[in-house]
Amino acid sequence: MDAYHVVLVHFPIALWMTAALAILWRAASAGPLALAVDRALVPLLALGLLAGVLAFLVGTQVWPWETISATPLGRNHVLLAAWTTAYWALLLVTRWLKGDAVWEGFTRWIMAGLALVGSILLGITGTLGGHLVGIHTHVSDALRMLGWEVFTTFYVPTPTLMAIGGAAIALIALGLVGRSRARRGT
Amino acid sequence: MQRISLYAALVIFLGALGLSWLTHGNGVVRDDPKHHISIPKQLTVPLEVWAAYNGTDVFFRYRWPAPNAGIFHDMLRYTNGAWVTQGEAVPGSQPEGLHEDRVAMMMDDGSVPEFGRYGGYVTIGKSLTGFSDEASSRDVKNHPYLGKKLGLDESTKYLPDTRKDLSDWAAVVPETEQDRLRAAGYFLDLWHWRAHRGAPVGYSDDQLVGVARLGDSGRGAYATNWDRERKQPRLMLDAAKVGKAALNWDDITQGRVGQDDVYYLREDQALPFDPNAGWKEGDTIPRRILRLPQGSRADISIAGRARWENGFWDVTLQRKMDTGKPLEDKILRDGGAYQVAFAIHRQATGGRWHYVSLPYTVGFGRRAEIQPTYFQGDAPDWHQTPFRATLFYPGQVSWPHLNSASHAGAERIKAGVPVRYRHTEEQLAHYGIEAEFAEAIKTQWRLTLLAGIGLLAAFGIALNLLIQRK
Repeated sequence: MDAYHVVLVHFPIALWMTAALAILWRAASAGPLALAVDRALVPLLALGLLAGVLAFLVGTQVWPWETISATPLGRNHVLLAAWTTAYWALLLVTRWLKGDAVWEGFTRWIMAGLALVGSILLGITGTLGGHLVGIHTHVSDALRMLGWEVFTTFYVPTPTLMAIGGAAIALIALGLVGRSRARRGT
Repeated sequence: MQRISLYAALVIFLGALGLSWLTHGNGVVRDDPKHHISIPKQLTVPLEVWAAYNGTDVFFRYRWPAPNAGIFHDMLRYTNGAWVTQGEAVPGSQPEGLHEDRVAMMMDDGSVPEFGRYGGYVTIGKSLTGFSDEASSRDVKNHPYLGKKLGLDESTKYLPDTRKDLSDWAAVVPETEQDRLRAAGYFLDLWHWRAHRGAPVGYSDDQLVGVARLGDSGRGAYATNWDRERKQPRLMLDAAKVGKAALNWDDITQGRVGQDDVYYLREDQALPFDPNAGWKEGDTIPRRILRLPQGSRADISIAGRARWENGFWDVTLQRKMDTGKPLEDKILRDGGAYQVAFAIHRQATGGRWHYVSLPYTVGFGRRAEIQPTYFQGDAPDWHQTPFRATLFYPGQVSWPHLNSASHAGAERIKAGVPVRYRHTEEQLAHYGIEAEFAEAIKTQWRLTLLAGIGLLAAFGIALNLLIQRK
């Protein structure tokens, strides 16, 4: 299945990178062309997610789970692929549900920042996939300089896991309180 | 207010990401002596190698960095009226520095094809001594062949085809099959220089790896200086020859005994132990008796002096190209091509706490990575540029593991793809360490993956609650 995975990953990469450009453009401009590009954003993100999920599923068939989950590079690739897919799903849902509101005021720059982070995640995922098939790039050198040796598994210690759990609860609470206040008009 | 909440959500999200980045890789990898785990701070070490031959003898010169001259091995220290062994092997560095430095070289002539592709990995069978799942000494001693016949008390390196089952260290093939394999050259020659157990008498050990790591025939350069019945050393230093009957413990551990001092117990400089010699607290006698090796075990000698100087060991070994013992040594010929892999021990480490190399080729008048220089005379002048190898800490990676479903490259091994095609030394060092914590890392990785998705979902929920649709 490795050949199919390699073919399939081109689709989410292309679609999500195009979506990232569209988000950046729309964040920077409210001109007619930017508005037109924005109209294509939800289909782009939706197709990207579909292709991403498909590539992920096919990717899980390249090696048995026992194999891919036993190798640091394999683990990192799975982790980054899962996070990248989830991340772009978040962008799709946000743009889809909130419509043009995501381009109001400072929110547009949040969208732009999220698009950049998503592109970085996508790039790292692709880099790790390249390593798995023996194609190395300097991205891994850059990551090494920033503190992550890609030949070691990316995991966080238990206290950090607990902090992430706390952050997740805080985020949901913040959202609920914010919505409640908005409804009350405060 | 919504805007402030949005900023706060962003800060929390980015903060969690930043915290993950800053703390990743922590919390699992740590020294764990109970499970035989000790991770060296430095994962790779350079080794320079020169080689030369004159048609009769071959010379290998090795130079590698070491923070100090590790010239001591285990000792017997007079403590509270009894002789107590000091310096027993521990995971990682021996705290008192009582483990000798070493350099070793495995060599093949193509009879073990996997060795040329994967180096020493092919010799790392299942449950070797020092691994977290090591075979017990009792099981090895009770093994009808390895223990009862060969006298082994620990599970050592072995070659894959000497076992009926790759993943069972005890499943030794019948002796007739072993003889057949040995006659066909299915063994690795092992040159094994030790700074204590050999160097003071001018010899390197000559060993081989086949059904186990064994000495060549003949007498080794060391014996154990311990009388079990009387619970005392067998020999002591001859004060008339070396000026003292024993070393002093504080002198040893505080670095006051150097390479030019007597730090060893040579048979020809020793006397039978006298329990009434007025021993005092801290008197220390080496637990190894050194003597001239004999037979095939004496094939490899030190050429000149093996010295530690300015942070580097510089050791030159010499051997007949044709020792006349093709069942114990790899016979080297002008025009021949061979495969070698190196290893060093330093900083008072023993067992598997060494640095190893990937395999390299040696060609005598042949194109190869290491090309011995031909010279005329008795000693080479070493004018050529050395070959520079990178040695790495190998962790706990066995040949059965590499050929199992847990290794993504198992199919490549079956296809004969050399290790160097896909892996660097640095990469292998990291993989070796991860293998020592395989299950714990996998668990933490799974939790990290799920936590990341949970965080993304929570951030998505917050965003969608806080952004007001027009």
